[in-house]
Amino acid sequence: MHSLKLLQTFARASFQQELAYRSNFFISLFHSLLNLGTGLLALLVLFGQVQSIRGWDFPATLALLGVYLIVSALRGLVFGPSLESMAGMDGEVLTGRLDYTLLRPVNTQFLASFRVWNLYAFIDLALGVAVLILAVVKIGQAVPVGHWLSFLAALVSAVATLYALMLVFAALVFWFPGVLFTWIFNSIFQMARYPVGLYPSWLRVVLTWIIPVGIITTLPAQALTLGLPLPLQLGGLALSVALVTGASLLFRVALSRYASASS
Amino acid sequence: MTKPCIEVHNLSKTYRVPVREAGLKASLRSLTHRTYQEVEAVQQISFSVEPGEIVGFIGPNGAGKTTTLKMLAGLLHPTGGEATVAGFTPWERRHAYLRRISMVMGNKSQMLWDIPPLDSFQVLGDIYAVPPAEYRQTLDELIDLLGMRELLTKPVRNFSLGERMKCELVAGLIHRPQVLFLDEPTLGLDVSMQNRLRQFIREYNRRSSATILLTSHYMADVTALCPRVILIHEGKLLYDSDLQELARKLAPFKLVHASLLVNSTPPAFPGGLQPVEVSEEGRHTFRLPRDEAAAFTAQLLGSLPVVDLTVEDPPIEAVIDQIYQEGKV
Repeated sequence: MHSLKLLQTFARASFQQELAYRSNFFISLFHSLLNLGTGLLALLVLFGQVQSIRGWDFPATLALLGVYLIVSALRGLVFGPSLESMAGMDGEVLTGRLDYTLLRPVNTQFLASFRVWNLYAFIDLALGVAVLILAVVKIGQAVPVGHWLSFLAALVSAVATLYALMLVFAALVFWFPGVLFTWIFNSIFQMARYPVGLYPSWLRVVLTWIIPVGIITTLPAQALTLGLPLPLQLGGLALSVALVTGASLLFRVALSRYASASS
Repeated sequence: MTKPCIEVHNLSKTYRVPVREAGLKASLRSLTHRTYQEVEAVQQISFSVEPGEIVGFIGPNGAGKTTTLKMLAGLLHPTGGEATVAGFTPWERRHAYLRRISMVMGNKSQMLWDIPPLDSFQVLGDIYAVPPAEYRQTLDELIDLLGMRELLTKPVRNFSLGERMKCELVAGLIHRPQVLFLDEPTLGLDVSMQNRLRQFIREYNRRSSATILLTSHYMADVTALCPRVILIHEGKLLYDSDLQELARKLAPFKLVHASLLVNSTPPAFPGGLQPVEVSEEGRHTFRLPRDEAAAFTAQLLGSLPVVDLTVEDPPIEAVIDQIYQEGKV
């Protein structure tokens, strides 16, 4: 109960902070539309030439873009801002600003992950949902309830997988405090805009098992448009649980390395 | 006899710090061949603090004050030794422990800068799960003590350093901690704001009986607040006792200032003693052993037209500087 109350408190305080700068809203809106526009344009160019690529047609790929936008938005809304503020030369680990996070009588991983929210990620979330609805309309036939349920389960495990990856990067900051791991990760995450099946087999292995960004978007989109075989559904779920558990352990070890700042 | 609130035994902290020569060549070499040096920031210090005590933790820059405070607050794991604070091992960071302590740092902020302080206080109230009635009562009390009601609705970003520091103190005390670690709370503040905050800390200690460990470079903070000081130098504990006793021990002399009626003939002072300084206004300063000060002033008053006379200890800054320079008490 206390955790839920705190989530509400953090969200409210973050929104209050964001609203102090009105111009940020318009810049965020522009950025979100640009992000959506480039994604859509690439798909239109691609599917202007071909009907489908390795089994993925336009509506299915559009659904995948929608999932990409939704998952990115949830990261930007909930845990991204908190975890990303720990890294870099001006990050909380190197400057010692993490002191106050560690002094609170609340689970440190929870506080480090959810204390800052980004209100404007709601724009991305709304656009993502809109793209997903458009994809469903383009499919041209009713999506079975089973597919919707499977999609929601895959979406939850996708967000959990993404959270685990971000938590691993946040933990690595305690060993390499100046490195902005998320910058490198974001470049790789761009590949998740397209179905993982599109890539050469070696890259498919990397994007599925090593840095599993591919399955973050591919599995939910496949669940919605084609349905997901049970082993794949359960495998995705198991992977996300394993990743969150492993990342939490790594984060705990990392915290014991915290050296604060010299003054 | 009450059990000490803070007990520290042989506490040590060693940092591993990367070192390299100056210059571009050395910078490039450090990419592949990094060398480290072990820095013993705190070396086997031991002390204890009674409940409700205010203790000044002093020492030159880099002495290990902040490192010690951070270990006691649970932020850093020590390399060796033991400590218990309010019955807990700090670096286990149990929630029950963290609820009992607070750390306020003069050089770091816990406020949300873009919104008024009331909103930040509310977030902290929620984090510490302070019941609403207690929250309102504590907040009212702290705000009145600090005289900061007019600040409550302005964004923290627009505050002066002193105003922000008042907010930091409220933020640190909203959960009524039993132990308070203050790390340079008056850093960079003007003289009147320093005084204001000192009064507040003294009053807070009187009302709440909280145990307070304070570091400061301003000796005025320490002399005004801390009957007892712990002095550390290069990570080692040099002195732990009464501040005035330290001054007496290190500076076994008194300063006698005497202003005389203007007279053209140079006065003959008792015992032929010569002043160490004479000001333009005719104020003579004598330096003499403590046990001789009383007799000297009596003779001075009896033999010369003295219009003003004061006897005082040498400034504490001079005493402390002497220790910092010599590295021993």
